[in-house]
Amino acid sequence: MRRGLRTLPALAALCLLVACGGQQHDPEAEASAGSSSAGLPKGSLEGGEAAANLKSAATGQTCIDCHGAGGNAPLDATYPKIGGQYRDYLAHALQAYRDGDREHALMSQQAAGLSDQQIADLAVYFASQQRQLRDLRGAHDR
Amino acid sequence: MTRQFTLAACLALVPLVLPVSAQDVPAAPSPTPQTPQAAASAATTTAEQPTHTPLTGDAATGRQLTYTCQGCHGVEGYRNIYPHYHVPMIGGQSPEYLVNALHEYKRGTRRHPTMQAQAQSFTDQDIADIAAFLSELSK
Repeated sequence: MRRGLRTLPALAALCLLVACGGQQHDPEAEASAGSSSAGLPKGSLEGGEAAANLKSAATGQTCIDCHGAGGNAPLDATYPKIGGQYRDYLAHALQAYRDGDREHALMSQQAAGLSDQQIADLAVYFASQQRQLRDLRGAHDR
Repeated sequence: MTRQFTLAACLALVPLVLPVSAQDVPAAPSPTPQTPQAAASAATTTAEQPTHTPLTGDAATGRQLTYTCQGCHGVEGYRNIYPHYHVPMIGGQSPEYLVNALHEYKRGTRRHPTMQAQAQSFTDQDIADIAAFLSELSK
């Protein structure tokens, strides 16, 4: 009985899942380094590199000042590596900071003044850098 | 907000329901006030980023706790449905970053339905263990 009760929500979630249809992989969006579903303009690598080295008026810091060269050498252990991270996730994170959906003493200020174009550019730039991060595929195999 | 309750949420909640219900400990989240040291070290990290008593994470336990994470973070090209973006790569981030992220989700200051639900099911020690495992993953 207890087991039945426990599995109920799981079953409900499964039904919902079936109703929603499968997870989609979107090769088109994968390929384009440009526009995202978040409505951002196409990003530019050169623009991103410039923006990454531009001191923010609000914080006096550049992206590189805190995240390190290529976004891979964070100044503080609480700062993430962002080099090679997914472009669309980076853009999403910056938008979230800008829009107040995610908060950080520095990042909220840093992102507040960014235009959509700058966010798109920065996302392209850091996504293009060397990647030290990985997903969890096979992480439990060894 | 409901619009964000996406397929990803469904997927991740399925495995969540069973294993976690058993250990639904009344988590004693203790966003401890900042230690002077931490406050000094960071004009950067401030009040909204409470420092958590650093618990020592156990990667072996973290390994067990993170099977569920693979449902989203372990699938190549997996995307959040709305907004539409790749679920981030988290292996190799620092334990400090990962601990903060999970606590932010737990507190609700960082918002994502699936991640908030996940984080709320974890104790502070679980979070430390998860961070230990994930941070040790190398490329």
